[in-house]
Order: sequence, then C-alpha cells, then structure tokens
Amino acid sequence: MAIVEVADLRKEYGGFPAVEGSSFSIERGEVFGVVGPNGAGKTTTLKMLAGLVEPSGGSATVVGHEPGEPAMQRRLGFLPEESPLYEEMTAIEYLTFFADLYDVAADVARDRIDGTLDRLDLEHRNRRIGNMSKGMKRKVAIARALVNDPDVLIFDEPASGLDPLTTNYIIEFTRELSEDGKTIVFSAHNLFHVESICDRIAVMNDGRIVARGTIEEIREAHGGTEYHVYATADGSHGDGLGEIEVARENGRVRHVVSEMSDVETIREIVEADDGRVTDIQTKTPTLEEIFLEIASTSDSDGEAEA
Amino acid sequence: MNEGEQATGPIRHRAILVARRLAGSVGRTARIARWEVSRSTGTIDRKTILVVAAMILVVGAVGLSVADDGLGLEDELYVVGVDENDPYADVAAESDRFRSVPLEAIEISEDGSESNVDVVVTPDGELGYVGENGQQAFDAFRDAIESYNDERMANAEDEIAAYPVLVTVDYQERDPIESGGTSQSERADSDGTTDSDGTGSDAADDPATGSIEDGGETGTLTNGGDDEDGLQVPDVGGTVAEQSTPGTPETLSPPFPFQSLVLAFLFIVPMNFLIQAYGSTIMDERIKRRGELLLVSPSSRYEIVAGKTLPYVLGLVAIVVATAAVIGGGVLSVAAAIPIALVFLGSTFAGAMLARSFKELTFVTVTISVFLTTYTFVPAIFTDVTPIALISPLTLVVMDLQGDPVAVGEYLFSTIPFYLSALVLFLLGIGIYREEDMFAQKPIPAKVVDAITSQIDAISSRVHAYWSPFALSILFIPFVFAAQLLAVALLFVVPEAIALPVMFIIAAVIEEFAKSIHVYAGFARGRFESSIRVAVVVGALSGLGFFVGEKITHVGQLVGLPELTISMAAFGPELSSDLSVALLLALFLAPLVLHVVTATVSAVGARRGPATYAAALVVATLVHALYNLGVVALVV
Repeated sequence: MAIVEVADLRKEYGGFPAVEGSSFSIERGEVFGVVGPNGAGKTTTLKMLAGLVEPSGGSATVVGHEPGEPAMQRRLGFLPEESPLYEEMTAIEYLTFFADLYDVAADVARDRIDGTLDRLDLEHRNRRIGNMSKGMKRKVAIARALVNDPDVLIFDEPASGLDPLTTNYIIEFTRELSEDGKTIVFSAHNLFHVESICDRIAVMNDGRIVARGTIEEIREAHGGTEYHVYATADGSHGDGLGEIEVARENGRVRHVVSEMSDVETIREIVEADDGRVTDIQTKTPTLEEIFLEIASTSDSDGEAEA
Repeated sequence: MNEGEQATGPIRHRAILVARRLAGSVGRTARIARWEVSRSTGTIDRKTILVVAAMILVVGAVGLSVADDGLGLEDELYVVGVDENDPYADVAAESDRFRSVPLEAIEISEDGSESNVDVVVTPDGELGYVGENGQQAFDAFRDAIESYNDERMANAEDEIAAYPVLVTVDYQERDPIESGGTSQSERADSDGTTDSDGTGSDAADDPATGSIEDGGETGTLTNGGDDEDGLQVPDVGGTVAEQSTPGTPETLSPPFPFQSLVLAFLFIVPMNFLIQAYGSTIMDERIKRRGELLLVSPSSRYEIVAGKTLPYVLGLVAIVVATAAVIGGGVLSVAAAIPIALVFLGSTFAGAMLARSFKELTFVTVTISVFLTTYTFVPAIFTDVTPIALISPLTLVVMDLQGDPVAVGEYLFSTIPFYLSALVLFLLGIGIYREEDMFAQKPIPAKVVDAITSQIDAISSRVHAYWSPFALSILFIPFVFAAQLLAVALLFVVPEAIALPVMFIIAAVIEEFAKSIHVYAGFARGRFESSIRVAVVVGALSGLGFFVGEKITHVGQLVGLPELTISMAAFGPELSSDLSVALLLALFLAPLVLHVVTATVSAVGARRGPATYAAALVVATLVHALYNLGVVALVV
C-alpha cells in the first residue's frame, strides 16, 4: 500500500487556483520528486501534504492519516524551503526542544541528535545558531526534520542557495536517507539533483501535474532518444522515413530522426546521391530539456501519465 | 461482566482517552511555555534587564511611598525659622511639607534675596517670608496652620466647644442625566411629589440636597460610607482614614479617591511594558516564518498559543500579586486586575496576528496601551460618584483599597466583559494562527475577515454552517457590551439633548455591525451560498443569536445601570411592573423581531459584496436607531 496517497488535491487562494486536481501515490522507501517552474504549485502541494495548508478539495493521506493529524505529524519530517530557526538558541538546545515536542525520550533524543549531527558533519553544536554559516544552519534544519525518526520526509528545496560543496553533501545525505528506507518527497529547481536521486517525479506547471513517472518513462514520453546523422548530401527525400528534421551546418546536412531504421535509410539515400555519412550521434535529452519542453507546451494540456 | 460493567466500559475507555489526550496537551503546552521562557531569556540583553529592573524599582518605590503616606513629593519642601517653644513650631512639625530651624540659625543675605529659610515666625508671633519661594511657602504655611487647627478641633474633648453648630452632609449617588424629569431623589420622595426647585421646603427629606439640622450638638460631618449599596462612598480628602471626620466647611471636597487611583494605576503600568515583549514574540513567529515548524509538529495551534502565552500570563499574575502586596490591595484587587491583564494580552495577541510588520505592531501595541489604559483608568475616577465607573475593573481595585464593599454582581458586571473579550480575542487570533494567514501580507481588514471565517469553519465542523452566525453573534456580545459601556461613559457628561440621539446611533451601529460582520465574512469567503434564501436564513439566525446572547448577558441589570437614561439608549429600558402583560410580552419580544429583521437586511446586502453590505448596514442601523428611540420614548 502506498505511504502517500493524493487524489484530486486542489487549493485555491481567493479564487485563484494554486493547485488543480493533483493525483499521485508514493510507495514506501521511494524518492519522489516534484519539479516545476516558480508558481507551479510545488510548495503548496508539499505544504498540503505536511498539514500546513488546508486543501480546498480532494484528499490526501500520509502514513494512513490525513495531513494535520497528530499521529501523522509524529511520523513526518518537514524541511521547508527557508530555514526558520531560533537563532538565539544553540543547535543542541534547538534540536532537543523539538525532540521534546515530539515526545522523544531524552536519552534517545540525545543519541539521535548526536548521531545525525555526526552524519551531517556539523561541528560547533553548542554555538548559537545565529552565529552559524548558511550551510551549517541548513544542516541543523535537516537534523530537526529527522529528530523524530520520521517515516516520510518532505524536503522542499533542501539545497537552495547553498554552495556546491554543501549542496552535494546534502544531496548525498538525502540519498543515504533513502537507502535507510525513508520515503522522501523532494522538490528542487536543480533538475540534475532530481534526476540523480529521484525514483519517480511529477512535473507541475500552472498548478497542474503535466507529467509523472520514472525519469525514463518521462524521457520516453517527452522526447526519447534522437539520432543526429551528419552527411555530405541530403538524405531526407526517401520513402517511408518517419518524422525528420533537416538542417545545414558547416557544409554538412544534419538529419534528426528517432528510429534507428531511419538512420540506415538516410545512409542509403545519401550514398545513392554520391554523398557519404560523416558522423552519427545519439542524443538523450536531459530532464531539464524535457522540463522546458513540457513547461512550454503544457498550457492547454491535461495531466499526462508518462 | 454484568450489563452495568458492559455499559460503563466504553465510557471509561473514552474517559481514559480524553484524560490522556488532555495530559498530552498540557504536557506539550508546558514544554512550549518552558521553551518560550528559556528562548526569550536568551534574547534579552543587559540593557533591557537594567531598564526592567529600574522600572520595577520605580513602581515598587512609588507604590510603597503612596501606600505609606502619599506621594511625598513635597516633603520638607519649605523651611520655617521658628523658636522650638513657639506654638507654630508644632504646625511645622505636624506638616510633612515643612522643616523647622531655630531662629538663631537663620541666615539672610544683605539684600534679603537669599536665605536658608522661607518663612519666619518672630518671637512675638508674627509671620513673614523671605527669599524666592517665600510667598508660596507663606501661603502653604497658612494652610498648614488651618489644617492644624481643624485637626485640633476635631480631636477636642469638648466637641460642642469646638463645633457650636454642626452640619450633617450626606453624599448621595448622583443621576446626572435625569429621565423624563424623574430623578432618583424625586423617586425617593415619600409623598410621590416633586420638589419645585429641588432644594425647597422638604429638603430635609430629600437626601440629594443634604440637610441642615439645628440642635447641632448631636450632629457630625459624615459621609455615605455606611450605605449598604457601597457605591456612593464619598471620600472627604480622598482617603479611607479621613472618613467620618468632623471638620469645617472649607475642608469639604468633592469625593475623589486620588490616592487609591494612583495605587490602582500601578497595576496597569507593568502591563503596558509586558505586552511589548509578548507582541514581539508572536510577531517573531510570523515575520521570520519560525512558527511554520511548530505548526508541523504534533502540537495544535491552541497548544502553541497557550504555551507561548502562559509565561506572560504567569508573569502578569505575579506582577499583579506583588503590586497588590506592595500597595495593600487584597484578593479583590488581584481578581480585578487579572481580567485587565488578560485583555491586554488578548488584544496584543490578536493585534500581533493582524500586523504586517514590526512597525505596524508598534502602532497596534501603543493603540492598545492607550485605549485600555484610558478605558480602565478614566471610569475609575468616578468610583465614588456613579455605577458607570464599574465598567472598569480598576474601579473594584479602588473600592478595595478604600475598604468599600463589593457585591458579587458588581464584580461580575465589571469583569465578565473583560474575561469574555479576552477569550474571543484569543479565539480570533488563533483562528488565523495557521500557515495560510500567519505569513501572508494581506490588508488588516481582510485578515479580520479571515479570522472570523476561521471561527465559521470551526463551528461548521460541528453543526451546519448556517448556525455559525447564531453562535458568533453570541460570541461578539462581550465586545458589544464593552463598546456600548465605553460610549455610555464617554457621553456621560454630555448634555442629554446631544447624548441621547448620539447614543441611539452608536448603540445601533455597534449592534448591527456585530450582528452582520460574520455573515459578511461567510459570504465573502464563500462559506455561504450567495442567494437570497441563504441570506435570509443566516441573517435571521444571526439576529436570533444576538437576541439570545443579549438576554443571557444582560448583566447591566445587576447594578441597575439601565436606570440611567443614557444607558437605556444603549441597553434598552428596564421594564416597569405597571405595564400590562401583553405590552410586557411585546416589549420583550420586540428586540427579537428587530434583531432578526435588521440582521436579515444586512445579510441580504452582504451577499453581494462590500459596497452593498455597507449600504444595507446603514439601513439596518437607521431602523435600529429609530426602534431604540421609539421604545425608550414608549417606556420612559
């Protein structure tokens, strides 16, 4: 049974639809990415799952409970995009307070906090949070999300605004959490990170999910693999060729096809015209390229299952 | 297991669950409170600690000083040069304002402009003055001599020798705005007639004017302190100790409990400081989005707010108790000051939830400080004059300090609006203590509508949404009551010809607004379907709720406030037993019809938007004001 179930989830702000009928489910131990441009409805969706924002319609369950129920909150770790910490407290004081709030026994909390901070490589634990660097603060915020040993983690832009070193550290740490069996709902603008750690993703645009599935499924459905055939002559006028894109570059003709059989046909035509194929390149679109394509064409489309 | 055990099993199980839930809730609240204390302590710098310490010292010193022997600002202000065996030396010794020095110690400059004394008593008993302050010192010394003589006369063993003619003065509760030419004094006339001039032939049986008795050998100058009502306690000289003290006519002064007022005010001062810190901590949660993480914890928003507020409540209670101990107030003073503290906190909380920035918060807290200080302090000035003073719990403090009796009804009348207002303010604030409202930069009116809508949602989760206007109309009654009492107090001194029509309109505006704002919120936020049928239903239920709430909380009757014409304009008249049953029934039910009709008018306007709501509100207000005028004219 899915650990997160979302059905036709909707949210309106003063008549403006921020999220329109999102539906998806997440299996236990899965890393599920939510991507999309600013204002797509990602954060609102995550906040509805966390119980922070009340849906206008639809339903959602997390670990079998409706968002906002104390039983669900106890099993959820939430890391918002910003790190609103109490800067006058030390990291230990701050984490101990939250552990206490989640009814974690003092000795268990102490061990868990120490263990998490060790894994996050956070030094100066008794330094006031206000005196910490941005990266250190983010690590404290991540440790806070883990203080109750949650089953489900919601990470909204966990590496936003951090330097590359800390970013990589946090992405790796997220991957480790996934390996520990945590279910993670992950949102990021950096699609490389999403592609590197997410099992499945949902692409949102204008409040709607416009694509969802594994990275491969989405790639297949929104671009797939392309073959770029460079030749000294035009080979696009043969019969039976599929959709083909032709362009002249530096005295050569570039043919773009999606089927391997078309590559062979082009080669035959080119050679029949006394030309020759000089290069064949295989192009796999990045998630970013797919995302840009979806974002630019999804205005009038409905949700697409990849 | 027998049937009884089978029946009680689920009940016991449910009770255990509720108890566990409650214990968990209390535990989380306590943790947040403890954390709030430790966190706030970490944010206070040394400078702030010094300022607070200085403030506490000042308040303590003033309290002790006033409680002991008055303000003491003029102690030994002037110096009198007088021989120690001279009778005038006793005058200087008795008065705190003077210090005496022997004649041989007097030093005067050659031109006479400077001296180490202000007043000189020559060996032959002549008085003179020297130096810059000499004239003022001389006048003050003459006053001191008169007081000294009065006191000696008052303490004289042979009272007849001291007071050959005695005048008995009884202070009576004053009805400043008489209704239909019938004053309390006139109603008190045993023959049922009215004096033509109010001080005429039967003045002796008209206590409002006092009386002059011959055979003065047996009379004394008294006050009304032994009146059972305990409301009209004039205070000659303003202190309890001076009551029932014989004196001369010039020692008579209007009743004004200056010393008790100053002491009572000491309760209010720390509240103004503490709400600054409280407002800031609530604002911190919002501005820096810190509250977001508490909201995703297992704690409910009620527990979060309770936990964050508890230290400030306990702090204020501790301050109130300490202040009472310093100034000599009793349990009544503490019980009267606590609801004031709760309203300070409740309004600050609601204000901090509405403000969009610390700048706005400053405006909010200053407004709260000024308004609540005025609301509580000004009526207390009239403690000895009129029951209107009881709209402020501070009046109870003054009465407590004066040793006046306070009935349970008076305590409830004075404090219930404060308790309920604090509760409603907290509820409204908690209604928007959620992510969607806490961090949104909406205009304040929109947030107010959201706060009310949150209560509609809360009620709708238990009963049908249409009943929410009924419940909210009842919930808003304390504000209506407090606002109308304030209006009564403000218009108290205005001539009746102006005060009455203004009061009719103000009362109508307040009530119509309270009956309709939640209905408007329901339509504006899409909680009610925008149809005429729904508008009529929710409007009628709102009017019904207001009627029920008004009847439940008609505590004005407790202290007879409606006997004042000005308060009739606000609260409606007290029904006379001379009226027929049919008329009584009609007058009892008439407000129901009024509230239902006017609330429905407003609701019909509210369903279309703010402009039509405003227009409908004006119509409803006019109908209501005309009704008030008609009923008061009919009954009075």
